[in-house]
Amino acid sequence: MIALYAKAAVGAVLPGRARSLPGTVLERSVTPEVGHLADYGRVCGFPLADALPLTFPHVLAFPLQVELMAARSFPLPLPGLVHVANRITAHRAIGLGERLDVRVRAERFAAHPRGAQVDLVAEVSVDGTRVWDGRSTYLARGAQAPTGLAGELPDLPEVDGPAAAVWRVPADTGRRYAAVSGDVNPIHLNPVTAKAFGFPRAIAHGMWTAARALAALQGRVPEAATYEVGFRKPLLLPSTAELVTEQAKEGWDLAVRNRKGAVHLTGTVRRA
Amino acid sequence: MSTDRFRDLSNTALAGRLGVPRVPLLRRYEPGQPLLPGPALVTSVGAGRFAKPIAALVEESGQQVLDAVGDQKLAAVVVDLTAATTLDDLAAARAILTPAVRKLAPSGRLLLLGPEPAEASAGAGVEAAATAQALDGLVRTIAKELRAGATANLLVVAAQAPPAAVDSAVRFFLSARSAYVDGQVVRIGVPVGSPQDPAAMDSPTLPEKPLSGRVAVVTGAARGIGAAIADTLARDGATLVVVDIPAAGENLAKVANRTGGTALQLDITAVDAPERLIAHLTQRHGRLDLLVHNAGITRDKLLANMDPDRWKAVLDVNLRAQLRITEALLGEGTLLQDGSRIVCVSSQSGIGGNRGQANYVASKAGIIGMVRALAPVVAEKGVTINAVAPGFIETEMTAKMPLGTREAGRRVNSLRQGGLPVDVAETIGWLGQADSGGVNGQVVRVCGQSMLGA
Amino acid sequence: MPSTPRRAAVIGGNRIPFARANGRYARASNLDMLTTTLDGLVARYGLAGERLGEVVAGAVLKHSRDFNLTREAVLGSRLAPSTPAYDVQQACGTGLEAAILVANKIALGQIESGVAGGVDTASDAPIAVNEDLRKVLVAINGARTVQQRVKLLAKLRPGQIVPDIPRNSEPRTGLSMGEHAAITAKEWGVSREAQDELAAVSHRNLAAAYERGFLDDLVTPYLGLTRDDNLRPDSSVEKLATLRPVFGTQFGDDATMTAGNSTPLTDGAALALLGSDEWAAAHKLPVLAHLVDAETAAVDYVHGRDGLLTAPVYAVPRLLERSGLTLQDFDFYEIHEAFASTVLATLKAWEDVEFAKDRLGLDAPLGSIDRSRLNVTGSSLAAGHPFAATGGRIVATLAKLVHEKGTGEGGRKARGLISICAAGGQGVVAILEAA
Repeated sequence: MIALYAKAAVGAVLPGRARSLPGTVLERSVTPEVGHLADYGRVCGFPLADALPLTFPHVLAFPLQVELMAARSFPLPLPGLVHVANRITAHRAIGLGERLDVRVRAERFAAHPRGAQVDLVAEVSVDGTRVWDGRSTYLARGAQAPTGLAGELPDLPEVDGPAAAVWRVPADTGRRYAAVSGDVNPIHLNPVTAKAFGFPRAIAHGMWTAARALAALQGRVPEAATYEVGFRKPLLLPSTAELVTEQAKEGWDLAVRNRKGAVHLTGTVRRA
Repeated sequence: MSTDRFRDLSNTALAGRLGVPRVPLLRRYEPGQPLLPGPALVTSVGAGRFAKPIAALVEESGQQVLDAVGDQKLAAVVVDLTAATTLDDLAAARAILTPAVRKLAPSGRLLLLGPEPAEASAGAGVEAAATAQALDGLVRTIAKELRAGATANLLVVAAQAPPAAVDSAVRFFLSARSAYVDGQVVRIGVPVGSPQDPAAMDSPTLPEKPLSGRVAVVTGAARGIGAAIADTLARDGATLVVVDIPAAGENLAKVANRTGGTALQLDITAVDAPERLIAHLTQRHGRLDLLVHNAGITRDKLLANMDPDRWKAVLDVNLRAQLRITEALLGEGTLLQDGSRIVCVSSQSGIGGNRGQANYVASKAGIIGMVRALAPVVAEKGVTINAVAPGFIETEMTAKMPLGTREAGRRVNSLRQGGLPVDVAETIGWLGQADSGGVNGQVVRVCGQSMLGA
Repeated sequence: MPSTPRRAAVIGGNRIPFARANGRYARASNLDMLTTTLDGLVARYGLAGERLGEVVAGAVLKHSRDFNLTREAVLGSRLAPSTPAYDVQQACGTGLEAAILVANKIALGQIESGVAGGVDTASDAPIAVNEDLRKVLVAINGARTVQQRVKLLAKLRPGQIVPDIPRNSEPRTGLSMGEHAAITAKEWGVSREAQDELAAVSHRNLAAAYERGFLDDLVTPYLGLTRDDNLRPDSSVEKLATLRPVFGTQFGDDATMTAGNSTPLTDGAALALLGSDEWAAAHKLPVLAHLVDAETAAVDYVHGRDGLLTAPVYAVPRLLERSGLTLQDFDFYEIHEAFASTVLATLKAWEDVEFAKDRLGLDAPLGSIDRSRLNVTGSSLAAGHPFAATGGRIVATLAKLVHEKGTGEGGRKARGLISICAAGGQGVVAILEAA
């Protein structure tokens, strides 16, 4: 994975980048191991149960996302891509021990007010039946998208109100999540590498924040659900963050914000 | 949910230009959805006694009723042919149907009501019987000709049946709940049991929650079609007791907790299984309004290679357990009451046979025999028993089939796709209603009018 | 509040299959297992979204982060989050003591329903740093400057970094439970053959219980395990006789305790559902049994003459006297099999004339029991023994047994005795009676 980042970093400065999305579909089959699941649960706050956490398949799809985005055929440079939104739908609970076929492709390469955005779409099937869908939207600041297409981002409710929980997020959170997710993007790992990309300190993975927030709703989220999040201000490490939750029809609205009220993440969970 | 790539691809513009036949996306039921998405044509040939109440039913649901074909697309066409007795009447039906099918919207519903041929012959002679039987062939043909997810079905109504007897069937066949029931002929007689749901004495049954207050048992509920049945019945207001083998307990607990029901870990083939089920129901609910015999297994082998163990395992779970549990409940005498319903899950292969599944097919055909034999017996208690026979349903089981078999299974039906577990569940929910007492001893296929075993 | 105490009803229970340590549940925490077990109980009794009077449970081996273990499990479960919870810890007596606490509140009319039990993992056990290192770390935490911290760190010696792995030993004697039990076994002359026989019967009984579906409504599978993986249905005295003694080896040829007639380290969780009769009736739930009475005793195993695991020997006569019963008035005996020798030594003590007179202060011994009524669906030797979980397992099991039997001799209600020995020289015992 680190090699891919390195390769992509080199590729980013070389000429000859593609202008449109590749038709590539990457696939892998994987049966999650109890140990991996337990480690992921410990980092994000999920219990070890017979069903995978709703966000877990994302880490199974992530290596394919990176492989696809690091390729020369991909029109945007991987380093500097910012994860701005994510939508997951679990069609049913996925049991531990089920063999998962993961497919990843790119689509919706479109203009964004600050550059270009693209969706990495992941599908997880069990024996030919789709059980999970993921859509990760990335932004490349200042990049050009094919003309005529305007990207769309989820319209998520603003959740205000008292904090349901205060998280003290330790400095090693990025490294710990990197270990369970394979997302070793240097901006998450330590202050020095993060500075090289213009952040004052290391920042938490958006998907960690999303997973941690969902884990806080344990026992209150239906198994077949859609979890949609928008990532806002980066969560610097270490820091103290607040989780705000609000019950909605058929689910929950939530937000993660800092103690001054700046929002890191907004999200909704709905019965699918 | 299913990964029907061909269906997805067939809906692209390119596929359209290439002339690939489009696989329709079926309209399916969601809570709060109106009965019909557009106006309905409701009419009759002769003095049919059902057209008026059906028109009232549709209007009550908030949808416009038309009595002639105009410019508007039709969400449903209902023709009451129960008074049709001559070939001239049949020609009149043709005159209504020909323009009507042209106006039928995607996922539209065509529903005919006709007389029982035997009764027709006794009353009005041989031509009347011929006319009645002609409707059977007519509706099966219309179902094959309709496109874009539209379905056609026939209700054969007994002369003695009061108009209200058809209400629950009409609601089911017009709504999106019957998405994958196509080309079927369902007989409706004088309702068995009180149409007033004894479970809903205190609170009137809402159309949103037709199973309100009813206690339902679903066997084999830990996964697949069984779990979908549990979810659907709970959505419609039923209180669930979900049953599966102890080894499936972890999944079963999840189904129980998400439906707010109780999990009963029970091997239905155990000697004391009926007794334990009865004890659980007596203790916890004191009643049983809907029993769904869904649990089933396969142990496939060609008959030439079939060993006694495979035979016994399949017959014990799929048939013997149903026989024993039903018999014990009938013998018990208090749980099944006036208005209780029993629905058994048979299979299309139980009707048409299937290579390599002698044991499974025998068990599923046996279920049909059981249902027919028990129907008059349970009717005396105000109880009905029916079977649903799923065709190709997208489940984890069918997903394991070889690609060729799977694709063939999906396409050889009038809707050109596989059904979903929820389609089976919706049909069971309909048969499980207290006011579905007019349907007894029937086998309703949920197969998209599959050509297999037809 | 009722003016006279009422009796608490045992409605049922749920546990996950017990797994040998570092096996199937190696990565599961106490919280994971307790939450899952609670959700299985909720599913069995249709309690999703229900507010219960309280949930009481505990763990013997517990991480400091799990200070509020049971409440955390409730919050993660499908029970209403308004259900209160607290932790208790009384070594292997935890689960039964929790049931007694819940039953007493029900009896007093303070609550209408409750869940009691426990969980333990020997796989995910907390590991502490040794005392020297802990002191340094505490000091570093208090240091104000980096220089001070570095200075403190520099004081550490390699030997101080060795962690303290929790040991199954008594703080005051330094002996492990097995070593203590071996001394008691020798004292009472408990033979190797008798121990192996008891172990074989335990396996046989538990296997038969599974076969007849007795555990269908007591156990919910977890992480792919559907039965206790310590269970050896084909266990026999002959096979057990081949094992080498592991405790009491200082007695040479007189060493009798092997891995086969001692419980292994196990992971698991078990809970029992209790309530008032009224609550059960209102929720249309079965009342299997009532908790009649309970007693906890402790012995001075450090300086006195009693063995570490012999406190039930004292608790039972006190309980019998209060209840006006004799040891023979029971249809079932659930004596926790920490070690086969513990069960056998306990029975011998109750039969012993001298012991009754000198130590129990009784004119006559309690006498012997009908061994065919002992641990009839197996016990800890077969199922395994996740310390705090055992009480919940036994309460639910015995409640079901007396309910099945209904009536005992002379038409009286079927009755069962629970006896659980615990570390620290304690013993918790209770009587259940069919409802």
